[in-house]
Amino acid sequence: MAKVTEITVWTRGVVMDKEARDVANAFAQAAKAQGKFIQAFDNYEDLPDRVLVTTRKYARISDEEIAMKYEYANHHPDVVVIVEPTIVKGINVLKGMPEGGLLIINTNRPIDYMLKFIPNADVLGAIATVDADGISGVRTVDFSGSEGGVDAAGVGTGISAPILGAMARVTGMVKKESLAKIVKDVASLEKGYNEVKLQKFRKGRSEYFWGS
Amino acid sequence: MSIKVPKDREVPFGAITPAPVKQQDLFITSNWRIVRPVIDHEKCTRCLTCYASCPDSCWSFNPKEEQMEWNWKFCKGCQICIHECPADALSPVPELDFEDGVVRLEKPF
Repeated sequence: MAKVTEITVWTRGVVMDKEARDVANAFAQAAKAQGKFIQAFDNYEDLPDRVLVTTRKYARISDEEIAMKYEYANHHPDVVVIVEPTIVKGINVLKGMPEGGLLIINTNRPIDYMLKFIPNADVLGAIATVDADGISGVRTVDFSGSEGGVDAAGVGTGISAPILGAMARVTGMVKKESLAKIVKDVASLEKGYNEVKLQKFRKGRSEYFWGS
Repeated sequence: MSIKVPKDREVPFGAITPAPVKQQDLFITSNWRIVRPVIDHEKCTRCLTCYASCPDSCWSFNPKEEQMEWNWKFCKGCQICIHECPADALSPVPELDFEDGVVRLEKPF
């Protein structure tokens, strides 16, 4: 069985719920457009319909058909994306990550400062930050919840577009061009792609290669 | 802390919690917070408006030191106290500016 890349997106309920859903869904859709097999889904275990609770979105990308169908959580995420940086203080975000994984944080703070809050950072192969709040300037696009919400704002607006650009550059799994067909805010996508900061760590043996 | 439950009345974790207690340490929710209210004790007039307006009872008056006390474990950063304070003694500061107040939960809720 081919390697399945698991992506977990951490966010906060209601106020940043839609943005994180767009990150997981649009990234998976762009990979699908490039001929990959994908799965993308919202949280199942968490309580997303409360303001500011920590909640998760998931995506899986593989070169072959994904056999995991009835597991609604990524227990070993290769890529962890944090849509709201304060989450690192409250949650063990790297739980289950294999050696050499990738962490992407939406923040304008230095990478060294963020690493202080991550106790098990030695598993990381690379860490990347992108100032999505500064690029897009709007944190909450709308309050449409995951369940039954009508999405009139469009996929890939607000802070989700710069984060998607940063993910495309650092993971190298999808092309920026295929994301640009899905994402509404293409200018912010471009900015996130160009302004992402990456720090790699030397690993003895790792199957990953992060960064362009 | 452990509670003795008869074998025939066992229930899932969290269904029984010690009561009455002043605060429930099994449900710490401080990781909901993005901003933290920081008090300026010089400006504070001890009017107790923050105590009355807080939905989670995170403000209390400490009679020994004669100043307000903030409970970091249950404050969710709703900023109601900051808006209600008549003396402007409270200000919102991003939670990431502080290195204390870390709770590392395994589950999101």
